[in-house]
Amino acid sequence: MRPQVEYLYRLAWRFTGSVADAEDLVQDVLIKLFPRTQELLGIEKLRPWLARVLYNQFVDSVRQQARSPIVELATEAEGDDNPLDALPATKDGPEEQAERSGWRERILRALDRLNPEQRAVVTMHDVEGYSLEELETMLETPLGTLKSRLHRARQRLRALLPMEPFSAGERVKG
Amino acid sequence: MECSDFAMRLDDLLDGRLDALQRKSVQEHLGRCPDCRQRHEHALAVLETVRKLSPPAMHPGFIDQALSRATRPAAGGARAKWRPIVGMGLAASLVLGVALGVFLATRPEPVQAVALTIDRPETVRLMFNSAKPLKAATLSLALPENVELVGYGGRRELSWQTDLREGGNLMQLPLVVRGVTKDDLVASLSHGGNSKMFRLKIEVAGGSGM
Repeated sequence: MRPQVEYLYRLAWRFTGSVADAEDLVQDVLIKLFPRTQELLGIEKLRPWLARVLYNQFVDSVRQQARSPIVELATEAEGDDNPLDALPATKDGPEEQAERSGWRERILRALDRLNPEQRAVVTMHDVEGYSLEELETMLETPLGTLKSRLHRARQRLRALLPMEPFSAGERVKG
Repeated sequence: MECSDFAMRLDDLLDGRLDALQRKSVQEHLGRCPDCRQRHEHALAVLETVRKLSPPAMHPGFIDQALSRATRPAAGGARAKWRPIVGMGLAASLVLGVALGVFLATRPEPVQAVALTIDRPETVRLMFNSAKPLKAATLSLALPENVELVGYGGRRELSWQTDLREGGNLMQLPLVVRGVTKDDLVASLSHGGNSKMFRLKIEVAGGSGM
């Protein structure tokens, strides 16, 4: 499994948008797959198979989260002098700060606004390059549903990411 | 072709799924419609930008830890969803306890409550709202008597390190309550020398349960 962990993590991060959540997702998948190591050796196209396992785990975990109780902890009134709010944004270098405040942060925020299924189809189709027909088999989801998800996801991303920041490439404020 | 037809075919155009005739029709429309040309360029740019988005590095040692946990599912199957900082849990808790006391004395967070059933593991989700991204923030937990974090075998103090995004950050906490507890679960968040404490009352569902 070791050679596949980076692939799983990359996919998981694109699904979740968070290092911690991605690592948790990968961990859950590894735990699930470890007893099936011998079976994995016989799988011809391992990566699509793993992507499917990861996707199912991702969807399951999102559903499970939706059912569990939630406690919101940061409840101070607006304007309250919260020591954490007053922290400087980061102690990173200027390059990282610029990147965070620039296009990368905007894209991550936009991806966060997609629902899990939309985010997954964008990841697997637009980023990883699986065709919709491949995804139809991998995700056991009708082609029409996948097309519709992809269409809505792209439409939403375009609405959330206006033209200006992209016309100048990866321009960031200096 | 009208602009509405173009909008309907944009996805197929992006994916190379148009036949020769459709492609010709679309190209002709793009040639005479600056608005749709801009839409097309925008769509391409968004796609390209999403493709170029690269994941941050995993935490150092994650692969080894993850593979190791996978071979011992009893230890790794249920755990809090933010990783502990190996080897510094107790020390961090003690240091934070001093620093947090100051904040707690001046402005305690309101206590919130969650009801759990005795001996039934349940996932409690804590949401931390952050006004800005925080890199390598430390979250420490102090569990009250009779409350356990599933998979941590009765440990009462734990610390994790994580990056917080701007806005809501969820932490999943698989808890099991073994009996009535009087104290609160205390979660403290620290970053760059500043800390903040949160308290969560754990109640037993259906009365005392004893």
